[in-house]
Amino acid sequence: MSNLPEKPNAISNKVIDLLVDDTLRRNGIDPDNIKKKLSDQQKKQLKELVEDLTTQVNKFNNQSSTDK
Amino acid sequence: MEKRKWRALDHCDDPCGNDSDVLQDGKQSVSTKQQSFERIIVKDSEGVEIHSTDTQAAISLQLGIQAAIAAVISITIGDSEQGKAVTQELNQFIKTKQRNVQTTIVEGSRNISVTTTDTDLAVNIQAMLQILVAIVAKLDIL
Repeated sequence: MSNLPEKPNAISNKVIDLLVDDTLRRNGIDPDNIKKKLSDQQKKQLKELVEDLTTQVNKFNNQSSTDK
Repeated sequence: MEKRKWRALDHCDDPCGNDSDVLQDGKQSVSTKQQSFERIIVKDSEGVEIHSTDTQAAISLQLGIQAAIAAVISITIGDSEQGKAVTQELNQFIKTKQRNVQTTIVEGSRNISVTTTDTDLAVNIQAMLQILVAIVAKLDIL
């Protein structure tokens, strides 16, 4: 017996992409320019940061759904 | 003439000296305000197993993602007015005020299992992570 709320529906990635694109564009930021400025070291650090947070979020989401 | 009953808020009808509506903080800052009130009451029962979302862990996770977004913007766009504007706007999407109030009462039961989930919090964390990933992907980092 379970009356748990449905697993949260993720917001579409397309919506998020649109929001981020629009925000950058409105502020006159060109992602291509930024790409050139980033060093490999910085890219690596950012990549690790995001991967780390993704793991944590997945762990959190699984934890709340496997406790059923 | 009948005497009016004294009321504590009578002074509010007084047109002068009541400026409570006027004083309001005009500053808008990024805020994530969440309150969770969860009550679980177990009465006359045995063998009750309860699982509940760790709200504190969720909130620190959320703050971690928010800090990461700020860091990514700062590194890529710089700590300029432009960068601040972008951070501010992105944070607007995720500005949330949530209140989660739930009460669970278990009474006269034996060997049952109860799980409660704070769905709002989970959705929010997911959305913030998506924003972070979208920014980073735009910069060809992933």
